[in-house]
Amino acid sequence: MGNRLRNLGAAFVLLIFGALQACNSAYAQDAPRWLSIEFPQDSPVLPVSSDLGPIVRQRGMSMVLGIHTSLMLRNTGSRTICGLTLRVEAPDLTPSGRGSVSVPSLMVRPGEVFPVRMDVEVRRPFDAKTEGPIIQISLDCVLFSDLTSYGPDRLNSRRALVVYELEARRDRRYLAGLVESQQWTQLRQELNFGLVDLTPPQLGFELLHGPQPVGRNEQAIPVGVVPFRGSPVQPMGGAAKLSGNEIRAPQVDVRNTSQKAVRNVEMGWILRDQRGRDFVAGSVATPVSLGPVQSGRLTEQGTLRFSQPGGQPVTIDAVMAFVNDVEYADGNFWIPSRRDIIEATSDPILRRALSTSPEQQRLAEVYRRRGMSGLEAELSKLK
Amino acid sequence: MKSANDARRGNHPELAELALWASHDLPWPRRFRLKRHLDACAFCSQQAAQFCSAREAFRHDAQSQTLTGYEAIADWQRLEREMVGNIAVGVAAARCIDKVGRKRFRSWRGAFVGAGMAMLLALGWMMNIPREESEHLALSLRRIVGMNRSQPSGTILQSTPDGIAVRAQGATMTLLHPASAVVTVAGNASVGALYVDEDSGEVTITNVYGQ
Repeated sequence: MGNRLRNLGAAFVLLIFGALQACNSAYAQDAPRWLSIEFPQDSPVLPVSSDLGPIVRQRGMSMVLGIHTSLMLRNTGSRTICGLTLRVEAPDLTPSGRGSVSVPSLMVRPGEVFPVRMDVEVRRPFDAKTEGPIIQISLDCVLFSDLTSYGPDRLNSRRALVVYELEARRDRRYLAGLVESQQWTQLRQELNFGLVDLTPPQLGFELLHGPQPVGRNEQAIPVGVVPFRGSPVQPMGGAAKLSGNEIRAPQVDVRNTSQKAVRNVEMGWILRDQRGRDFVAGSVATPVSLGPVQSGRLTEQGTLRFSQPGGQPVTIDAVMAFVNDVEYADGNFWIPSRRDIIEATSDPILRRALSTSPEQQRLAEVYRRRGMSGLEAELSKLK
Repeated sequence: MKSANDARRGNHPELAELALWASHDLPWPRRFRLKRHLDACAFCSQQAAQFCSAREAFRHDAQSQTLTGYEAIADWQRLEREMVGNIAVGVAAARCIDKVGRKRFRSWRGAFVGAGMAMLLALGWMMNIPREESEHLALSLRRIVGMNRSQPSGTILQSTPDGIAVRAQGATMTLLHPASAVVTVAGNASVGALYVDEDSGEVTITNVYGQ
């Protein structure tokens, strides 16, 4: 009886294993149908190679489809591209979830080819039915050097690309100024002495939407402000609901101190944990209509839950806000200058966090790989 | 230099040999030759008789008194019995200990096998069951036993050590990034990660969005 049961059990396990392997191989054979790369015919950028052979594997009762390669794109237009965003969608997740891959700080001239790194994984149940590709990659926005753009911009990525480009130009000017004035010590300090920061201050996030239960120990706390002197919109103060490692509904009162109408304000958020460490948690752009010298309130929905990268909760002690950028009604932007950042805080770590832009990180990588001469060549090329 | 006593013994056997003869501890060829000598030699015969009488006295005392280490020498048979008895007691004790150890070993072996199977199960679970499903199961169990408040449904954006992910409708999309990436909130419903691509040297920013 026991042997018979054992044999039946072994046969059942083999059957399951065989079925999973069959599914796996079937998925692998059908792999090309799983992926679609769509660019409009009149797109100023087109894929040169689409060698994105997906990797399929099974995890428990789920299937994971992964793409781990670089998509090579060519600038087929007549203008220099300085930023690009690709939309990554999975029909299993839409309409509620999607992703994007952006490459800012580019300087791709007409005819040039550039890579965009794609590391995407989609996990779905084996029994999920989808007609058509599992992963869809398409163009969302291309930003040109004159700050005009192309693309459907469904993810509002043009705004982010413009801010990145303005920050890049600011930082290039700043670093080029240090080179011209031969302030080598300051320059090396700005570029982290060519060292790779292997342990940058990190936070793990969980952004929850929908109605959330109120925490037992939830308390209202004031939101401090880090004012930039040159900002046309000044934060006046605010409040948030704090419960352990969760922050709910943070809000900040702001005043437009300029004579121009404002339609969008992006607030940056700084968190201080119980050990006094500051983290720039990120920034959130909020559409707001602020006339000249008008006040308003920016309120964020949802709940943010913070943790260490390993998953241990981080207890939040204080919350601060700063104005990351302002979009005027006429479409122009304001971003903080280097002087604004230097004057805003005396904390060198916070100052560094506020001033670290994507372009500065890219130039730091150039300096690390090619040294000071390589950095000078890069800065002169971008003038 | 020989003593006067030794010189007087001449071709006579040694006293130690006579003592062994008296206790019947000589091999038979030597015993046979010594017996022939004793029959012919009154002096040696007297010496041997003294050894015999002394041995009888020792035996008598040994039977009437507690055996000591020295006295035991005089009664080899009793010593043998005691030694055999002690050995038997030792062997019996060892068997008792052995049985106790076996029981312990059996119980330990069972615990080891159980722990090994548990580890194998945990390893198999970790390798095959996605983390999200494990978390979901743990949360469900906690909810069942009333240890946890209900979790939100809908779209969840989260950062993991490997990347940033959006979970909705039973599926998960993860945009992977290296460990050096800086993860931030990138909007009202978005989490982003910024890193420098090792191959191209270009900055890459990934975002996941949820509504």
